[in-house]
Order: sequence, then C-alpha cells, then structure tokens
Amino acid sequence: MEKKVAIAGFRIAAAPDLETTRERLVFDLSKGLLDDLGITRDAVDNFVFCSNDFMDGRTISHVFIGPAAGGYMKDQTKVEMDGLNAMIYASMGIISGQYDVTMVVALSLTGSQASPYLYTDYSLDPTYDRQLKLLNELSAAALEARSYLTAGGYPEELLDVVAAQDLKNAAANPGQARRIDGVSRERIKGSPYYYEPLRELHCYPPTDGGCAMLLVSEKKAKELTDKPVWLLGMGRSTDIYYLGDRDLSTSLSAAQAAERAYAMAGIKDPASELDLAEIMSLFAHQEPLLAEAMGLLEKGKAAAAYEAGDTAVEGRMPINPSGGPLGAHPICATGLIRAAEAARQLRGEAGENQVKKAGVALAHGQDGVCAQQSAVVILGT
Amino acid sequence: MRNVGIIGIGYTPVFVSKRKDVSIVEMISEAVDAGLKNTGLAPEDIDAYVFGNMATFEGVNMPHLWATEHMHARGKPIMRFATGGTIGMAAFHGAYYHVASGMADIAMAVTYEKHSEGDAQVGLMGIITPELMAMLSAGIDVTGQSGMGAIGGGSAGGISFQASSYLHRSGAGIEHIDAIAAMERRNAAKNPYAHLKDPEATAEKIAQTPMVSWPIRFGHICPTTDGATVCILASEEKAAKIADKVAWVLGVANCASDATTANLIDSQITDPAEQLPAIMASKKACERAGIEDPKKEIDYVEIYNGFAHQTLMYLEKVGMCEVGEAHKLLEAGELEMNGRCPVNASGGVVSTNSIGTSALNRVTECALQIMGQAGEHQVEKEVHKAMAHGWGGLMQYCTITILGDKPKKL
Amino acid sequence: MEEIKDTFLHPVVPLDFQNNYRVGAYLQRYLDGFKEKKILGAKCSQCGRVVVPPRKYCGACNLVMEEFTELPQEGTLENFTVGHVNLEKGQWKRADAPYVIGMVRLDGAANAMLARLNVSPADARAGMKVKAVWKDQVEGEHADLDCFEPA
Repeated sequence: MEKKVAIAGFRIAAAPDLETTRERLVFDLSKGLLDDLGITRDAVDNFVFCSNDFMDGRTISHVFIGPAAGGYMKDQTKVEMDGLNAMIYASMGIISGQYDVTMVVALSLTGSQASPYLYTDYSLDPTYDRQLKLLNELSAAALEARSYLTAGGYPEELLDVVAAQDLKNAAANPGQARRIDGVSRERIKGSPYYYEPLRELHCYPPTDGGCAMLLVSEKKAKELTDKPVWLLGMGRSTDIYYLGDRDLSTSLSAAQAAERAYAMAGIKDPASELDLAEIMSLFAHQEPLLAEAMGLLEKGKAAAAYEAGDTAVEGRMPINPSGGPLGAHPICATGLIRAAEAARQLRGEAGENQVKKAGVALAHGQDGVCAQQSAVVILGT
Repeated sequence: MRNVGIIGIGYTPVFVSKRKDVSIVEMISEAVDAGLKNTGLAPEDIDAYVFGNMATFEGVNMPHLWATEHMHARGKPIMRFATGGTIGMAAFHGAYYHVASGMADIAMAVTYEKHSEGDAQVGLMGIITPELMAMLSAGIDVTGQSGMGAIGGGSAGGISFQASSYLHRSGAGIEHIDAIAAMERRNAAKNPYAHLKDPEATAEKIAQTPMVSWPIRFGHICPTTDGATVCILASEEKAAKIADKVAWVLGVANCASDATTANLIDSQITDPAEQLPAIMASKKACERAGIEDPKKEIDYVEIYNGFAHQTLMYLEKVGMCEVGEAHKLLEAGELEMNGRCPVNASGGVVSTNSIGTSALNRVTECALQIMGQAGEHQVEKEVHKAMAHGWGGLMQYCTITILGDKPKKL
Repeated sequence: MEEIKDTFLHPVVPLDFQNNYRVGAYLQRYLDGFKEKKILGAKCSQCGRVVVPPRKYCGACNLVMEEFTELPQEGTLENFTVGHVNLEKGQWKRADAPYVIGMVRLDGAANAMLARLNVSPADARAGMKVKAVWKDQVEGEHADLDCFEPA
C-alpha cells in the first residue's frame, strides 16, 4: 500500500484509578499530544472520539469530551466500539483526501467509575441471554479458553505461562496499570479461579485510561515528525453473535481481519514478515488463540513457542511486548493503545521492552463476547 | 477522493409507536432485506456495514453485535457510530468515507430505534444527570432554575428556550410554529413511512393542543417511533453497473460547538437559537460540494426538526433564506410541496422520530426526491441538488449532507 | 484558593431503564413450546440445519427460516466451565459453592445452547450425555427449562 496515513504522535494514560474526570483526561491527553508536536488545535481538521455511553453513564457522552479535546467548531464524530476502529475510520477520512490531520481520542474510566463487566452484560441479547443469566464476559471467556486448550491439546498451565510473560512485560512498561514486580507462574497459578480455567491473574484488570493519537496525511507527516509510523494495511471482520454457533477454539473475526490487512499491506508470510504484534487479548488464552488465528504462531504449537521464548521481547515473534491488556484494559481505548504501543516499538522508544529489529508490526483490537469482532492494522517505518 | 452515490434505500414496512410483532433484531432485518430487494443486491455484494442508533434508549449496548446475523453481516466489517440525534447522518457519513476511501465499493448504513422498548426520556435525562448531581453536591439550588427538570438534550423543557429565543429574533410568532407543524403533518399523510399523519391538519387544530412549555405545544413535538432505515452507497464504478437512478454525494460536513454554550446550567452562556454549528457545517458542506449560494443552487431541503419551530430556524441557519425570512416564506406557501423552497415533504422528524433513523431519513428522503421516487410526496419542482440536515447532542452538534443528480467533477 | 474537596460522585451506571423487550415471533414460538415441555428449533429449508433457540435467519445460507421443528430433550455436553463467582450488576461475588455451566448440543441440533448443569464439578466431563430437566410448573418462560443432568 502507498504511504498515505501516518501516526505523528500519541499519548497513553492507564491506572486502576486515574483520579480524574473524563473531560480532564481527554484534555490532558490531547493537549499533551499537541504540545509534544509543537502545534495547536488549529492544525487539526477532524476529531474522531471513541467512548461508550453505558460506561460513561451518560447519553451522547462525547458532547462533553469534544471541547476538552480541542474540537470546538471542528468536524467530529464518535465511533462506539473498540478504539482501533476509530483509528481505522480516521484513516479513511485522510485516505479519501478530505482531511489532513485527525485527532483520535478513546477512553473510559472503567477502573474507578463503572464496572467493565457491565459493558458486556448490556450488550447481550435482552430477550434470551440476559434472561438466562448464564452468559457474561468471564463465563464466555472461560468456555472459549477450555475450547482452545482442548482443541490444541494444551495444558491449563499454558495460561500461567502466557500471563507470566505479559505481566513481566507490563511491569517494565510505565504506561501500564497493573505492574507487579517479580510476578511468577506460581503466583499466577495461586490466584483464585473466576470460571475454570480462568484465574484472576489470567484476566484483564479493570482500568481507567485513554489514548490520543494524531493521524496525518503524507504531506503533513513530513512537517510534523521525523519518525512517522505508516499505516500499511487494515482489515476488520465480524462473527455471528450466538456463541453456540461458533468454533470457540479459534477466531473467525481475527483470521478474516488479519487476512484483509495482510492483503492490503502485501504481506504473504506474517510469521516471518512481522517483527512484533500487539494483540488485544483480554484473557491469557486469547493471546495464543488470536496469534494462531492470525497466522503468527503455528496452530497447535503455541505452548512450545511460549516455552521456547519465541514470543518474548527478544524472541522470534514478540507478542505484546508492552504487556498487553493483562496490564491495562480501559474499554474503548485498549485497541488504540495496541496501535500506539506498536508505534512506540517502531519508533525505537519502548525502553526496556524494546524489540531489536522493529520494522513492521501488527495491532489487533476486538469487540463483543469472545472477540466477535476484530480489527487489525499493519504499521511500518 | 472518489465519487460516491446512494443506490438504494430500505425502510421497515411501517413507522409506528409500537411494533409488538417483532424483536429489535427482527425489525432491523426488515429494513436490511428491503434495501437488498430494492437494489437487487445479494448480501455478499455488501462490502461493509455501518451501524447507528442510540443504545442507551433501549438499554442494549453495541446492538450491532446481536444483530450481525440479522443484517447478513457474518464475515463482514461493521462499524458502529453513536452521536445522539445526528446518529443517522453520522452513520451515513461513515458509510460515505468507507466508499470514498476505497475501503469498500458498496457499503450499507443501518439505523434503527425501537422506542417502545425503552425510555427515551430516561435516556435523554442521562445526558444531564451527572451535571445535576454535581450541582446538588455543590449546594446549588437546582429547583430555582426554571425548566431544569427537563433540560436533557432535546426534551421539550430545554427546547422551549430555543424556540422562544428564535421567535424573538426572527419576528415569527407561535402561529407560525402551528402552521409549519400542520404543513408537515399534512405532508406526512402522503408518506407511507411516516408515523403521525393528518391530511386535515391546520394551524388552528395544532393551536388547540396543550401547551407543554411556552411556546412549545404538544402538537409541535415529535412522536417516539419504532422503525429502521438502511441506505446503500456505492462507488461511481459500481453504481454505474447496479443502479438506474443514483443520488450522488456532493459534500458532507459536521460541526460541534462547546456543550456549555448550548446547555442552560451556567445561566445560559450563549443563545440556544444561535446555532453556530449549523451555520458552519452548512458552509463547510457547501464548500466541499462546490456550492456558492445554497439559496440559488439547492432545490430541496430536509431539516431535522424534533420540534416544529426548528424547520424555520434551521432553514435560516443553513443558508436557505435570510434571518427572519423563513416564516414569510411559510406564509407565502413557498415551503409547501408545490412551493419555490419545498422542505420536509416527508413530514420531517416532527411526524416520525425513531431517533437512530431520523437523520438518515433526511438523507434518504432527499435522495428519493432527486431520484424522482418519492411517490405521492414528490415535490413539484425538479430537484437537482438537495440538502439534508441533522442536529443532536445538547443542541450543539450539526451534520449536513448535500446530494445531487450528477456526480461531482473530480 | 480554597482547597478542593476530594469529592467522589457515585456514577449513575447502570442507567436504570424501564425496558420491556419484545421477544419477537421466533422466540415466542420457542417459549410457547415450553408450556408443553417441548424444545423447538428453527430449520433452514436449504441446508437443513436446525438451530435452537429458533431465530429468523440461517446465517450460512442467508435465508429466512420458516419451519419450526421439535428437538429431542437429550444431547451432549460439549464444553463446560466451573463457576467460582457470580456476576450481579457488574460486580462479582464468590459463589457459595462451585457450579457447572456448559454448552449442550441437543441431538439433531446444529448449534449448542448455554445451560446450567445439575452435576457436581468433579463429575462433569465434556462429551457426556445429558437430558433436559423441567420445572414442575411450566409457564412458557425461560426459567421453565431448569437445567440439564446426566442422562
């Protein structure tokens, strides 16, 4: 793909409790980003927001974050799903030629102000699943985990291995909310079960947080940054709602989204051509599951790859060198943060977690129960 | 930028108060299937879906997930927007950029609202509740602020401030609001997809409806409607192969001011009838569409009028007439279907309001007029260019779409 | 300047709606079947798949399903989890005792349905045969189909 859209900069915030308001968080992120780039809001011609009215406890909640982001009298809209989709939509505006500079802001305060589990509870079929009260985000994930482990012939301990790698990376990333020093597989295995086989430390932590990202056209990229990160490909897909109709041992949406993104970016062999992947895995099992679905790990060989260190920062196919969503999951922002963390790697600014040769990266975002929807972007220097 | 056109529209068979016979997703499927039938497309022809409604009104978060199979969207990308009253047009703009950017050749915008299953007033109050709570906790006497109990978003309490300010500034009277409401209910009687229809409506009849909050009477207010609408957009190349009639997208824009300039909490910082975002959005859309003077070049307008005075007010804001002129055009009969400046031949939002669809219906109704397919409510003059308007949020957000019968010269 | 008080407003989540969801034609038939302790599925006229609970579309064929068919009350537990918590209004609480929920595929059905299992966690096995257990009094409600137990 031509280099048409670039990430000029980003800011990330995440903590169990940011002790802030949504408006203040949006202001801090977007004003901070503009300051980083030495520009003002006058330079921005479009704003794409991403938040959720249920999690904000307020109808049409972007009404109040627009001005805080600097969107007064500007074009603006709100994508109400995971933030990676907001980034993709912002890119469409630039590719079409309508806009040159677009600010994407995604956030939620689901650590301190609203329960993240309600996000899923409210999205369930009110005439069936909400009546039966059996399905929720955790029970669905547990069924998915069991299905994946059984199909791959993996031991339950794979979850501890994955979580240990993610939490180790998260501890070294100042941008993460859950940072546990010296976390061990034993400690993870000692954490209490929610729904078997998922334990507390296999699951994302409720998080306050957000991400602002400035996307620019090729022309503007030259003016604004000497380290542009280019958008090379993007793809999205959706699976059916009904869990009992899906093959939970893999992810149709991630496989299709990745396939479309690879086609656009001209990637034939993702496992060898990609230098790292940031995956929106909300539960430990989803990381290898989604990596297999997207062709990053060989099906049935994930456990061996993790044990061999292939997926570690210094490995062959580093996955979630940022620590991933097990370190922070501010709903709506998590997928956008994956893209920002991938960009951080490509700019060589990831500090302790820096992957050595980072030229092309994948970022994944998801929505719905068991990744019913996936979005994938390919980024490159 | 490549050209994008509307090639088809799908409505639920009816727009009524209560669809008791179908669930939310079944109702959505009716509009989707109607859109496919009208264009002769198969589900596999749709490259991408864009979805919009106000989820808090029905209490179903991210309803596109539940509706995936009912939209035939398994294996397809779906993008969901949520911007309040403007959502239908935000979704339309979303579908437009999908095609304009080349990420899709054919995209379907799907919108719905099933008000009978939720509580729109609770949803609207949800906009303002945190503010009220903050004021209470700070010891501010909220009871002293007139209309405070009902200032959420578009509810009548807040809107009455806008209407009275508009009357004051334009020189129009409450009788003009009665007259425009009557005109739209009469128009609605000719539109099979309208909700409140009254072929015999007159200003006098509307004037007899109870006063809700001066100058807004019951007869000036939109109903709550169950309904769904889809709109199918295609690239120029695809449109040429599929459709006989195409309504081309010439320009889209939106604009939002500061929420605090529209709300009433800090003793109303600015005038809710000022509507700078509508003026700006129209300017931007006209510029993008290559239109210098909408008064001369636009043949037909669909205004998002949850409340009847807004037809008159927004006609002035979007540049279809001078300030203070709209009610004179109304008196002269120019806003009627056979007038020089026909507006809301569909009956407008004041006759039909399933919120998710309302702003999209403004676009689809403009498209029907351009394609000459509006049937009984087709306006007399030839429509070459049309403008669709939407507003939402705390009266601070406006969207505009301009359509034409010929593609833009690139 | 006066020091700002550390005030925290409790959020209004969940928004409390007076919702009254219509179940629609398909689920209504399913619930009507419960009155006679029958489990109905919808059958696709093209591929012949039967889905339960019934719904309007066969996703694979993109067709409206119009035929309802009764399914046997026995099936296979395909996948399960042992719950140690309960989620209520977004907050989880430790369960009094671990319990089993799982995906049951009724014999002849194309999809699995999520159900509560009346079996101890130690005895639950993927692949085990299970059968439906009804409440004594059936009213045409979801709760009529109480759970599944080993056949």
